[in-house]
Amino acid sequence: MRSAIRAQLTTPRFLLFVIIVVLVAVIVALKPSFLNGAFVLAPLITSIAIFTVVGLAQMVVLSIGHMNIAVGNMAAFGAMISGISFDLFGLPLVAGIAAGLVGGGLIGALTGWIIARTGVNSFIVTLAMSFALLGLVPTVYSALSTGSAFVVKPAGFDALGRDSFADVCQFGYCGPAAIPVMVVPVIVVMVLVAVLYTKTRVGRELLLTGSSVKAAEFSGIPTSRRIVLAHTLSGVLAALAGILLATSIGSFTPSIGDEFMLQSFVGPILGGTLLAGGYVSVTGTLLGITLTLVIRKGLELFGVGIETLNVLLGVILLIALSADRVREIRLRKGRTPDASAPPPSDPARSADRSTEEVPA
Amino acid sequence: MNPEPPTGTPRATATLEALHITKTFPGVKALDDVSIRLAPGSVHALLGENGAGKSTLIKALTGVHQPDSGSIVVGGAERRLSDPSAARDAGIGVVHQERNVIRGFTVGENIVMGRMPRRAGRIDWAGVTREARRCLELLDLELDPSTPIVDLSSAQMQLVEIARALYTETTVLLLDEPTASISAAESDRLFRVVDRLRDEGTAILFVSHKLEEVYAHCDTVTVLRDGHSVLESEPLSAHSHDEIVDTMVGRALGSLTVPDRRARPVAAPALSLVDVTTTAGHHGVGLEVRPGEILGLYGLVGAGRTELAHAIVGLERITAGELRVNGEPVRIRSLREALHRYRVGYVTENRKEEGVFLEQSITRNIAVTVWSKLQRGPGFISAKKERDLVAGYVSDLDIRISSQSQLTGRLSGGNQQKVSLAKWLAAEPEILIIDEPTVGIDLRTKRSFYELIWKLADEGMAILLISSDLAEMITLADRIAVMDRFVINGELENSHDYDSMSRDVIHLIHSGAEVAR
Repeated sequence: MRSAIRAQLTTPRFLLFVIIVVLVAVIVALKPSFLNGAFVLAPLITSIAIFTVVGLAQMVVLSIGHMNIAVGNMAAFGAMISGISFDLFGLPLVAGIAAGLVGGGLIGALTGWIIARTGVNSFIVTLAMSFALLGLVPTVYSALSTGSAFVVKPAGFDALGRDSFADVCQFGYCGPAAIPVMVVPVIVVMVLVAVLYTKTRVGRELLLTGSSVKAAEFSGIPTSRRIVLAHTLSGVLAALAGILLATSIGSFTPSIGDEFMLQSFVGPILGGTLLAGGYVSVTGTLLGITLTLVIRKGLELFGVGIETLNVLLGVILLIALSADRVREIRLRKGRTPDASAPPPSDPARSADRSTEEVPA
Repeated sequence: MNPEPPTGTPRATATLEALHITKTFPGVKALDDVSIRLAPGSVHALLGENGAGKSTLIKALTGVHQPDSGSIVVGGAERRLSDPSAARDAGIGVVHQERNVIRGFTVGENIVMGRMPRRAGRIDWAGVTREARRCLELLDLELDPSTPIVDLSSAQMQLVEIARALYTETTVLLLDEPTASISAAESDRLFRVVDRLRDEGTAILFVSHKLEEVYAHCDTVTVLRDGHSVLESEPLSAHSHDEIVDTMVGRALGSLTVPDRRARPVAAPALSLVDVTTTAGHHGVGLEVRPGEILGLYGLVGAGRTELAHAIVGLERITAGELRVNGEPVRIRSLREALHRYRVGYVTENRKEEGVFLEQSITRNIAVTVWSKLQRGPGFISAKKERDLVAGYVSDLDIRISSQSQLTGRLSGGNQQKVSLAKWLAAEPEILIIDEPTVGIDLRTKRSFYELIWKLADEGMAILLISSDLAEMITLADRIAVMDRFVINGELENSHDYDSMSRDVIHLIHSGAEVAR
């Protein structure tokens, strides 16, 4: 038991957690205004929620050893479909969101199908997809909307995007203003994705496909279908992130998703997901995203410009990528935390634990 | 600084001595006070089971690993081999077990790779061709240096690698299991090259699991066991075959008793191929495997055996003729269908790339074929059932692991192969195709594999065994079908008598004619 705890304490996720805590403590000590619930924490947590979904959208394709360069454009596309549903067809909130998710899923499925069918590298296919959507989305906006934005909001739209738990009152007690309502659907999505990868057959088949397509093929896994599935999921999650972003800014615009692509890699990679496929970590993705956004928010409070932020983001990405490479090399040499830990008793934990290649 | 190596000069000779080499990896002492002496003009056999330390020793002699202690002396001068190029400078050439050529380049470029002849700062292409040709001629190889390396067979690539080792002045040549995956004819050719180099004064280290060829070609021997040298640079002729085996495995192994399988029940064929033509190039192939029977499919590398297995499990298309499972004509379109619908399993020959997921746990590797059976609710896997199932196969097949969550890539070759096999056994196939099951596997594991295959057959499984190891074929199979150039040349009832069987099988390969059973 004790060594199991020790194994947890040496994971990159724990390291990330410690760094985040220290960072927050430093920022709070220097700028106590960081703790302002409504004006600092709530927007920060909102973006953490949205970008975690973006990170998951990338993570699901990383799990099969692919990547999705079009993650931002798929978000824009899915959000656009939702916007059209509300604006032109007057659909209620849930139906419009569902339409957007289906739209994102279809684009993702198409991408996955092309990759599986042609065998062309996912980087190339999603890059092409990204360009196609980059042209398509603004064209549709200018054709169907006034002022290049869909602004009709169905009931509940603002509540999802802008309310915090301060607006949720029961028996005279209201929740904290620092936590936006949006975290609820995002947590649900995180749990679903985590369950997919740790408990289900399909999730394992995705990971095994990522580990070695050939061996997966030779084990009777329908690898083409798994590739399509991973990209479909990526499209759905990207669309969800786009829609959530639209609800938080209050309208649907073609620029939704512009910032998604780079961030989508930083989160999963910092959190322990392998670029080469086969290992994912949902919690790690959340922590990776949180770290970058806390840094960003902190620097913002000190009045540091966006350019500096981007330089920093670039450096963080480089570090994360080097860490990924180091982990991969260690893995190829067969070093694993499992060797020192006792056999796991809880399967969820064991699947989870194997996501963490501990640099000893 | 002239990058051109010396040409035409008589080859220099040198003795390599490794003295008291110790190398420790986290948790294991891979080499413990090992010494070896390679003399010019002799072939030295390095023997030992998998994991005995052979590869580590070779890596220490070629600068890949730095020993913790001990020294390496080449031609009387102590050398520090800090990296592979230092070893090359010291005159030590190596041909590793896995092919180590750069695809996309020509034979010539592969030979001079790293030290391209240059003129005026640019690559001297005429020099490349000339040098490559010189090296190929040293080996009596008639290969055009401008041939793309990918057009070569694996055995030819190996010879090109030897040519590469000769490009720089090589006085010591290390060959790590050069015959593990090539046919008998190709081995003969390799040995002609080896004999020639020895006669010219090269000191050669030869690693092999095949004792017959070791006795035929080696002069001295070192045997490693668990990182220790149990025999150190002794003349091979002083030790009998059985003695060597005993020192390798560390206990009297005795010879393997072949069970009497003549009384096997006669049932209707589980798998039959009738006049099958495939996209891979087979034509008129007919085979029958009955439940409880082991049919050996023997042939040289490139004869089309693996491709036939692929055609059976749906990885190649059958364009004419009939494939029957339990008498019913079937059309198998994917490995998935072969397994789940027709109960045909296929243990692939390419273990590391196709057989196992090296970077995944043993549990996941074994359970991959049977997740539908382990379900608890739609799509969810019952971890307990999974663990129990895997534990069963781990103990049945005697797979040596530290825990189920250990990464498969950490296991030895033999244990990886067992994982690959366990995966298919878990799916409970009725027909099992086993492709080259014991390549690069030590004797003890090999023996347990043989016993396992017999046991599976006794339990009623129909087994199609593909192997390039004729001795293995004669030991294991009930009948042997001989394939050559995508055609079945004939079939023999196996008498298990090595001399007569090997003569008949070789005859079948060369005759290309139909021989009566």
